[in-house]
Amino acid sequence: MTRNPTIIGNILRGLGWFGLALFLITMFLSDFLAHAPAGMEFAGTELGPPSDAHPFGTDMLGRDVLSETLHGLAETGRLAMWAALVAIVLGGLFGAIAARLPRPLALTLRGLFGVLGTIPPLLLAIVIVGLTDHLFVAVAAGFGAAPLGFVRAFDRIDLHSAHSDYALATGIPSLSLLQRDLTYDFRHVFLTVIARALTAVTIIVSTASFLGFGAEPPARDLGLIIAAAKINHFTAWWTAVFPGLALILFILCARLAAGLEEGERA
Amino acid sequence: MKRFLARQLARLTIGLCGAVLVAVALSAITEPRPRNLPAYLLAVLDRLHHLAQGDLGHSAISGLPVLTELIQHLPPTLLLLVAGAGVALAAGLPLGILFAFGSLRRAAAPIMQIVTATPVFCAGLALAFGASEILHWPVGFASRTGLAASPEEALRLAVLPIATVGLAGAGAVQLALRRSAARSAAASFRGGLRRLGLGGFEIELFYVLPQIFAGLIASAGDIVLALVSAAVVAEWVFHRDGAADLFVKSVALADWNMTAVILFAVAALTIVASFLGRVLGFLLARGQTS
Amino acid sequence: MMESGPLLELSGVSLMRGGETILDRLSFRLAAGEKLVVLGEAGAGKDALLRILGGFAAAGDTVSGTIRYAGGPPVPASSRQRANLRVAYLPNPLSQPLAPHGSVLKQLTRVVSRQLRAPSGSAREDLRLALEQLPGGVTLPMLDTTPDNLDPLTQAIALLACVAAQTPDLVLANSAVADLGPRAVKLLLEALDATQKRLGFALIFATGGLQPATRLGGRVLVLRGGRVVEEGSAERLLSGHAHAYTRRLFEALPRLKTGVPKPRGAVRGQPLLQVHNLAFGGESAGRDGLTFELRRGAALALVGEPGSGREALMRLVLGFDPAPKGCVLFDAVDLNVLSVAMAARIRRRIAFITGRDDTLDPRMTLYDTVEEPLRAHLNLTGELVAGYRDTALKRVGLASHDGKRRVATLSVFDKRRLQVARAIVGAPLLVVIDEALSGLDAHAQNILREVLIDFRSHQDPTFLVVTSDFTIAQALAEDAMVFEAGKLVERGAIAHLVHAPKHEATKALIEAVSLPTLSSDERGLSHGPGSV
Repeated sequence: MTRNPTIIGNILRGLGWFGLALFLITMFLSDFLAHAPAGMEFAGTELGPPSDAHPFGTDMLGRDVLSETLHGLAETGRLAMWAALVAIVLGGLFGAIAARLPRPLALTLRGLFGVLGTIPPLLLAIVIVGLTDHLFVAVAAGFGAAPLGFVRAFDRIDLHSAHSDYALATGIPSLSLLQRDLTYDFRHVFLTVIARALTAVTIIVSTASFLGFGAEPPARDLGLIIAAAKINHFTAWWTAVFPGLALILFILCARLAAGLEEGERA
Repeated sequence: MKRFLARQLARLTIGLCGAVLVAVALSAITEPRPRNLPAYLLAVLDRLHHLAQGDLGHSAISGLPVLTELIQHLPPTLLLLVAGAGVALAAGLPLGILFAFGSLRRAAAPIMQIVTATPVFCAGLALAFGASEILHWPVGFASRTGLAASPEEALRLAVLPIATVGLAGAGAVQLALRRSAARSAAASFRGGLRRLGLGGFEIELFYVLPQIFAGLIASAGDIVLALVSAAVVAEWVFHRDGAADLFVKSVALADWNMTAVILFAVAALTIVASFLGRVLGFLLARGQTS
Repeated sequence: MMESGPLLELSGVSLMRGGETILDRLSFRLAAGEKLVVLGEAGAGKDALLRILGGFAAAGDTVSGTIRYAGGPPVPASSRQRANLRVAYLPNPLSQPLAPHGSVLKQLTRVVSRQLRAPSGSAREDLRLALEQLPGGVTLPMLDTTPDNLDPLTQAIALLACVAAQTPDLVLANSAVADLGPRAVKLLLEALDATQKRLGFALIFATGGLQPATRLGGRVLVLRGGRVVEEGSAERLLSGHAHAYTRRLFEALPRLKTGVPKPRGAVRGQPLLQVHNLAFGGESAGRDGLTFELRRGAALALVGEPGSGREALMRLVLGFDPAPKGCVLFDAVDLNVLSVAMAARIRRRIAFITGRDDTLDPRMTLYDTVEEPLRAHLNLTGELVAGYRDTALKRVGLASHDGKRRVATLSVFDKRRLQVARAIVGAPLLVVIDEALSGLDAHAQNILREVLIDFRSHQDPTFLVVTSDFTIAQALAEDAMVFEAGKLVERGAIAHLVHAPKHEATKALIEAVSLPTLSSDERGLSHGPGSV
């Protein structure tokens, strides 16, 4: 009874990673899998329901929803990966290092990131996109998620733990302690951190896109596709449902891969 | 006790000052000056000076003072947030407590994963679709809804955004509950009191539950973050007039004065909520002893 | 109440857990009002036995065999039915049995009220009466606070009062006094003994230490690997006629050498640690400072109860806390005036072996823990490092362990030995041994003591021993300073102190670890009778 949940947990985690791998392959092969290039319009088939020719139907401009979803998925995945990289480096890694910096500097950084962390990541990302350019949506989403990651990584490092006290008292330099944090903590939670960051930034990227602060046409990610489908999703449900499902599945896989015990705030 | 309060007050003050600085730094971008660092710093100082005199600047879109705009737009958003928080607690608490205990906690985890994997805007669209298809409610997508025909219709229009925000909040609430429950699950006193002769239910009720609630209250800041994020999306999806909607438009039109003020309001809300949460959580944990 | 015949009769009780046998067909009887000390190492099955008797089997336990309660019919041991027997449980306060955020008084009242099925008002009154019968002067209002505001001794007395208030037929005590300090142990065991005599309950006292076995008297059941190795009175077990395992356990029991001290030469060597006019102990601003000197190769013990000031002094001397007055020189250098990097270079010649289990990084592997001091300071090749590491691990008996295991997965005893290995590789000048034997059962204590003595004779470092146990002080050091309530009360050679203690605190500490009633039965041991 005590062992069962962990087995289930491991199976689910494995499933999550398997799903992510499938998504990754799909993203790389999106140009081959999609039978229409991105943005290609089939004249005369506007808002056509799912059929043999267009399994997911067509949207208001006559674009094949299946192909668009695949391209959108590739775009979302690309953005999310960059954003996750930014979030991990600027958030988690920097936070872990900053905790061992000289105390005043560390506290200043903690205060700065703490204040930024009181702004919802989505709003922060939107502001950064607004300040820079739509091209930077991935970086902005990463920046948006970074403060929370920073605070978490920073607070995770227990400066006053007995073992670091005793290590310092026996002359182990603080650099060695930082090395401990990085090798042990990061190695053990690295995959989890990736999956978690991916979850958070995917939601931020797609929501920002949905609000109009993301990918710009002709590159369309899932958020933008769903935003475009918003107007007629009552009558032509397929235009929103399939991209939406793809997005949810992607996030679900990342979430499962991150482990079961706690989720990431979105 | 006093030391704890003093520390929390200091955190509150530092947080609010930091938020002011961030907001000022953002609003200084509006200044029509060359974009180099010294000029920008001068603009920041200038802004601070204005701020000290009570002048928050004007909105670049409407030309009105930002404070007037904010006062106009904030109440509906706050109402949405409060109503959403109510829904979040009403839905999240029972579920969270149900899932927080024993074997249900682990069994519920995969289901919660799926539910919480849905981005807010997808959930909002799905709710809108359901309301319009099944309940045949009017859903304000295309038109501004400030001018609802009757109070009844206005209420109907308000339900969906509140439900959306509430769902997002419920996710955060049950997450906080489960986290706090997971922390106390490993506590040694559970086994200790059991062996001393107390019943399992008694232990949960008198010693575990208050801890879980204190943990929930202490993470009020996180819940507010989730609610605000959801409010932005909900106001946009359902075309509600509010501060969150205004924020999106301000950023899109590069009205940094307005953006800065709203951003400050949001940050202040979170900071104050987490301050109150920590203090209340502390008092709750202490209240058991005295 | 009770019918005649044994209170408890276990026959063939076994406990399996995950395919492993924890208890192996255990059978014994316990008469009403009898005392039974269950002695065994960690993992010997003591806890499993209490789990079965108390009816709090853990998930995953498979229990077989039968138990007869108070002459009734035999019932399966796995049944939670306790017949009409009132069982009370006495835990160790250090195992944190109470909710940390609730009032101790309220929790104990609730326990008593539930056990007696009495209203909380009368339960409170019972608790008050029980407290009055106990030493220590603990009152109800004192207990109306969270457990962390109370010292372990007060908590232990409160828990004992809670047991007495229940007027039980059977009391299950689980290592109830381990690691509380010798004076507290003595006080509690005497109080428990008196309460037992007064209320006439049967007592099963599970312990890993030998103190309770020798102090409580009664029958002793020696458990090893889930089986009874030996059964008999403490006196008989102490005699030479016992089973080899028991004999070894008891023979290694540290005894104070109280004979007339032999004169010994002064320790030669450079002064390693010089303390000048150091004020310590918090509120002692106006008091005269402490001055002493520790030479290379010497060994000094700071003896006192927990909280008596010995730890405060140790922390000051080693620079954990800033000293308000006075100065400390390590190897003729004041570490506090050096830069962090310079101090670190000197500090690497200091090593710690403590009774705390969180002083090793739980994330590190066994090998990394031992190698870190070498890698941090010396530019050695991997082979050399591995060589030093393996030698050190062999000396503490950890060589057969998988080096990739993480510290978090090690047992308490293994962690303790790992601390010693980490100290050995650093070739330290000063080794601080801070209650290093606490939390260990008697067998593990014996081994660790030998390891430490061997460490000293091999590498000849200076020892600074912080302890409350004069036997440990005597085994590891020559000189001692005795502390009480934040003050130094007596200092001198340990042999002299033990032979002729002057201060009351010293006498109490020595008396607490002497085994007066039994020492006359010792056979073939070269020590004289205990003092008192």
